[in-house]
Amino acid sequence: MFNLIDNESKTLWSRWEYFARTQPMKDAVIHWSATGRNYRWSYGQLLKSANKYSERLKQLGVKKGDVCALIIRHNPQFYPLYLGIVGIGALPAVLAYPNPRLHHEKFQQGLIGMSERSGLNWIFAERELERIIKPLIVYRGKVNSGLFFPLEWELKENINAKELEELEEIRNSTNENDPVLLQHSSGTTGLQKPIVLTHKAVLDHVNNYGKAIQLSDNDIAASWLPLYHDMGLIAAFHLPLASGITTIQIDPFEWVLAPSILLDVISKEKATLTWLPNFAYNLMADKIKEDELEKVSLGSLRMVVNCSEKIRADSHEKFHKKFSNYGLNENALTTMYAMAETTLAITQSEPEKRATEIMVDRNELSRGFVEITENEKKSIGVSSGKPINDCEIKIVNDRREEVSEDRVREIAVKSVSMFQGYRNYPGKTAEVLDDKGWFYTGDLGFIYKDELYVIGRIKDIIIVAGNNIYPEDIEDAVGKIENVIPGRVVAFGEEDEELGTEQISVIAETKFDNEIELRKLSMDIVKAGMSIDVNIQNVYLVPPRWLIKSSSGKPSRKTNKQRIMDNIDRNVWSNR
Amino acid sequence: MISERLKKIICNELNLGVELVEMDENTEANEVPGWDSLNHANIIVAIEKDYGVRFKGLEILKCKNIGDLQKLVDSKTTGQK
Repeated sequence: MFNLIDNESKTLWSRWEYFARTQPMKDAVIHWSATGRNYRWSYGQLLKSANKYSERLKQLGVKKGDVCALIIRHNPQFYPLYLGIVGIGALPAVLAYPNPRLHHEKFQQGLIGMSERSGLNWIFAERELERIIKPLIVYRGKVNSGLFFPLEWELKENINAKELEELEEIRNSTNENDPVLLQHSSGTTGLQKPIVLTHKAVLDHVNNYGKAIQLSDNDIAASWLPLYHDMGLIAAFHLPLASGITTIQIDPFEWVLAPSILLDVISKEKATLTWLPNFAYNLMADKIKEDELEKVSLGSLRMVVNCSEKIRADSHEKFHKKFSNYGLNENALTTMYAMAETTLAITQSEPEKRATEIMVDRNELSRGFVEITENEKKSIGVSSGKPINDCEIKIVNDRREEVSEDRVREIAVKSVSMFQGYRNYPGKTAEVLDDKGWFYTGDLGFIYKDELYVIGRIKDIIIVAGNNIYPEDIEDAVGKIENVIPGRVVAFGEEDEELGTEQISVIAETKFDNEIELRKLSMDIVKAGMSIDVNIQNVYLVPPRWLIKSSSGKPSRKTNKQRIMDNIDRNVWSNR
Repeated sequence: MISERLKKIICNELNLGVELVEMDENTEANEVPGWDSLNHANIIVAIEKDYGVRFKGLEILKCKNIGDLQKLVDSKTTGQK
């Protein structure tokens, strides 16, 4: 059972130092690389190296409270650098390394947007990005202090007593209510909302979530999740390090190309915990071949936690069916409901017990009512569990009044680890956080027998493989293409049952009507998506004035999606 | 050199017209419209099915571009009738 001896630590640094002192030889981070070399950081080594980074950062002029963006790919030096930033009271902010297909200008715009909102003071990146980022600093003055390449630094062998004393002073002056990190709510680059978390919020979350999953000294976490994503950063990085257990970090790019890597790692290192978005269950069950599983043994896994997108019962079933012969315990299939604004978890299903599934009437559900049924029109709901300690949930109507158990409405949450508001974004904060501390999530769900069931979103956000994508961004990019009628585009998410996630679809009006032109235009639309790093899977081209407008005067996403789904209009050309 | 057969499999999987896509041995997956991490697995399965071969995850991981993928296919099909 999770029972951390060191309850005195009020900051993350002091917690890490405690483990470096009490268990210096224990693995803190195992940096895993399928194509390169693995690297094992013990708690002792990790803190020693983090100290060196702290000293170097101090010399550069990084100050307490500065925001330090990290744009670095999977690299063993990332971890001590991250800890070193925290070690001088600055705030690490992990940003996604730009996909090569993302247009440079779009990446720059995103960075400027983040700088303006998040106030990025420093950027620590790889040399490869210099030519893209530097113009922003030299000519635009959007980033205050500069761009550096820490992977090229030669750090001092030892820090002298005076330097150490100065670092100690900074650390002693840091208290639990000081900010410790900045994470962005997931979303399209540039539209992400900056969330600052305090030491207290993170440590309270670690304690509460640790109890909810019955974390123990024997646990080992394995993760391929990117660290710019809240589930990767908090569940698979901060939780283990602030609890003194080992985390194994796999390169997300390697995992997606060879998903069996996660199973190899779990088998070799006897990992006990992993967190996955729903699509990963389908991908691993469908694409990993039996001959890749020869040495796989999943008996050590006590929890595989499903979170970050809609949880699908058939994904759990598929995963269980595929891997039960390799030691996967059915009761490892658990679930969580989480968001960056509450540090991470709000609810968690019972540990070591398969998440509850219930049958609800699909028609009633679409009308906003919960009716348990066994009839043919049933839909299986997977529970996200009960609130963890110091968290509350309620379901509210449009007036934000609590509704009864049989209603599907907006989920509101409260947590001791709640953020203080979006940084430099008071208007947006006021929209979602009330003066009693309730955060209105924009998610739709219901509560049944004290467990939360999440069924979708009120807004039109598309969730692809755990990433939130705003349709406005896609519509804006596609609307600029020649031969697409400006303003006559809608983007929406289309359920892909095989992949266990949503895929992006676009309907665009055009005057074209012959196959060759339509096919070429379809490709231009897919390319426009690539330029903003989103993959448009389905393109529907329609004649002028096809799209129906909503009361706001813009083409309605919901109505027009339904017309496509009904598949009755012969005037629709599709790339499928 | 990329074979027409390989190009056709990839384009079919991505719903792209073969005549509209430029592809050579140096083309990387992220340069091909629609080839993202979610579609990647489907493309690999389609290639395996068409050629009657099997790839291991690590073999795919080592392919940096379509030229490498073509070489991998060739190495698996050498001697096949």
